[in-house]
Amino acid sequence: MPADEGDVVLGPRNITNLPAHKRNISVVFQNYALFPHLTVAENVGFGLKARGHGKKQIEGPVLDALRLVRMESYKDKPIAGLSGGQQQRIAVARALVVKPDLLLLDEPFSALDRKLRETMQVELKSLLRDSGITAVFVTHDQEEALGVSDRIAVMNAGRIEQFADPSTLYARPQTPFVMDFVGLSLRLNGAAKAAGEGRSVVETRHGVVRSDVGLAPGKAAIVGVRPELVRAFSSVDAPAPQAGRNRLEVVLEDVMVLGSKTVLHGRCEEPDRLICELPGIKAGFARGQQVVFEWAVEDTLAYEAAA
Amino acid sequence: MSAIRHPISGTPPRRIGTLVDKTALLAGPGLLYLAVLYAVPLLLLLLQSFRSDDGGFTLVAYTSFFGDTYNLEVLARTLRVAFLTTLLSLAVAYPTAIAMNRAKGIWLTVFLVALVLPMSLGVVVKAFAWSILFRSNGALNQTMESLGLIDAPIRMLFTETALVIGAANVFLPFMVLPIYAVLRQQDDALQHAAASLGASPVFRFFHVSLPLTLPGIVAGAAFVFSLSISMYVIPSLIVGETQQTLPMLIARSFLYLRNEQLGSSISAILLIIAIAVVLFSSWLAARLGAKE
Repeated sequence: MPADEGDVVLGPRNITNLPAHKRNISVVFQNYALFPHLTVAENVGFGLKARGHGKKQIEGPVLDALRLVRMESYKDKPIAGLSGGQQQRIAVARALVVKPDLLLLDEPFSALDRKLRETMQVELKSLLRDSGITAVFVTHDQEEALGVSDRIAVMNAGRIEQFADPSTLYARPQTPFVMDFVGLSLRLNGAAKAAGEGRSVVETRHGVVRSDVGLAPGKAAIVGVRPELVRAFSSVDAPAPQAGRNRLEVVLEDVMVLGSKTVLHGRCEEPDRLICELPGIKAGFARGQQVVFEWAVEDTLAYEAAA
Repeated sequence: MSAIRHPISGTPPRRIGTLVDKTALLAGPGLLYLAVLYAVPLLLLLLQSFRSDDGGFTLVAYTSFFGDTYNLEVLARTLRVAFLTTLLSLAVAYPTAIAMNRAKGIWLTVFLVALVLPMSLGVVVKAFAWSILFRSNGALNQTMESLGLIDAPIRMLFTETALVIGAANVFLPFMVLPIYAVLRQQDDALQHAAASLGASPVFRFFHVSLPLTLPGIVAGAAFVFSLSISMYVIPSLIVGETQQTLPMLIARSFLYLRNEQLGSSISAILLIIAIAVVLFSSWLAARLGAKE
């Protein structure tokens, strides 16, 4: 597929019109794409053989690569008998052994079950750190993106919305899309009112929300906060309103006890979302209960809503 | 095991149900059909080839067959024609199968119809159509003469080359379809993966596409070779009596010479070749597929 416009530059090389086999970019596919007619070692050695290396030059690097993914005892096994996780390890070894300028991982772990996926993420991360190869990791799994990457580009309809390290991306999303896409958040639509320089007050259906972000008065706005920064109190024990904290009166729609956290959902209408995450198992909340959600003004995210 | 009882009736499950899948019974009519119409007559034919005039056992039919150089010539021609037909149809079929695998929607239908429709036309119609094209005063010779490419008409009919070309044409679907079936199962990602690992298109063909399509090639070759050594109508129409093949020899023995012993012994030889081809190809396919 030819490019409509622009160039793809990798290091010093313009690779826009280079055929795939000359780009020196290895790809790890979602469905592994291992060669079914070759053994494990032959799969890993494929790239070196294609580059014209002799048998003896191939053997060493292949064994090293297999050792790296802890699959050296499988080297003479056929591909068909391997589990999904083992196959993906071979695919990673096969991609790394050719020392690519760039490693492209196209949703590599999405076919694996959750536990195995997490193990593979940890392994891959240390593999990439040790080998020093730059990798582009494509994923729809936000947790995976946050956990594996040094920097994340959040894309929306072909455009990059934000390109930042995971903590910045999570704590300070630049657009409402990034806030909604990466992690969950309490978010409310509203209208900005006149406030001081570098501050804003947004009137929402559920109450007034203040933030340290300047917004043009009179415009439609979106405010939000990460749910683990929100505290919840039953209306009876709620502390008195204080400066520097936002406070909303909420009727609980649902209480979900997830073990490591308890998630409270407040009653609201789409696209508003009232959500609070408390660590551990929290008793004393029930559906229909009147509660107070409150959080720091400085943690509040605020955006002008797109017209 | 004997302690296990059927949870409801309290009786052990019927043995037949555990040993033989009942759906296997569906093969019954087919097996019976094959036995009555194929295996039994063939066996009778084989026995006949060993029976002397006084009803005893003899190998005279075989010794006399292999003692005659003309017969050996026919045997060699039959094998040669079958081999070349297989080769030619493979050369035409492989690119065709690749194109079919890339084809989408209406084009795939066009391919399949173009492939299957001529099969329903029958060999006789095809052979006479060819003779219009290829005979000495036929369309092809006339065109080449008028263009000044040749001075005198070239003899194209009644040659072994014509037979190979004609047979390869008729048997083409039997080569294309197995290869196409294997190609279809191939994951496109394998090509992308190979390319990303630095494999050129040529390297990809010899180390990915070809090895993965070998089972289809073996199956197609076995089909076409078997069909070619046993074809009768095509050589009868294209080369006639001048270039005989084993099946024509068999027909002649039965129909004109009335020598049933000779006919059945040649049949037996043909059968042995066919069995050898089938066994060899299934051995080859199993070997190639061993890693999967």
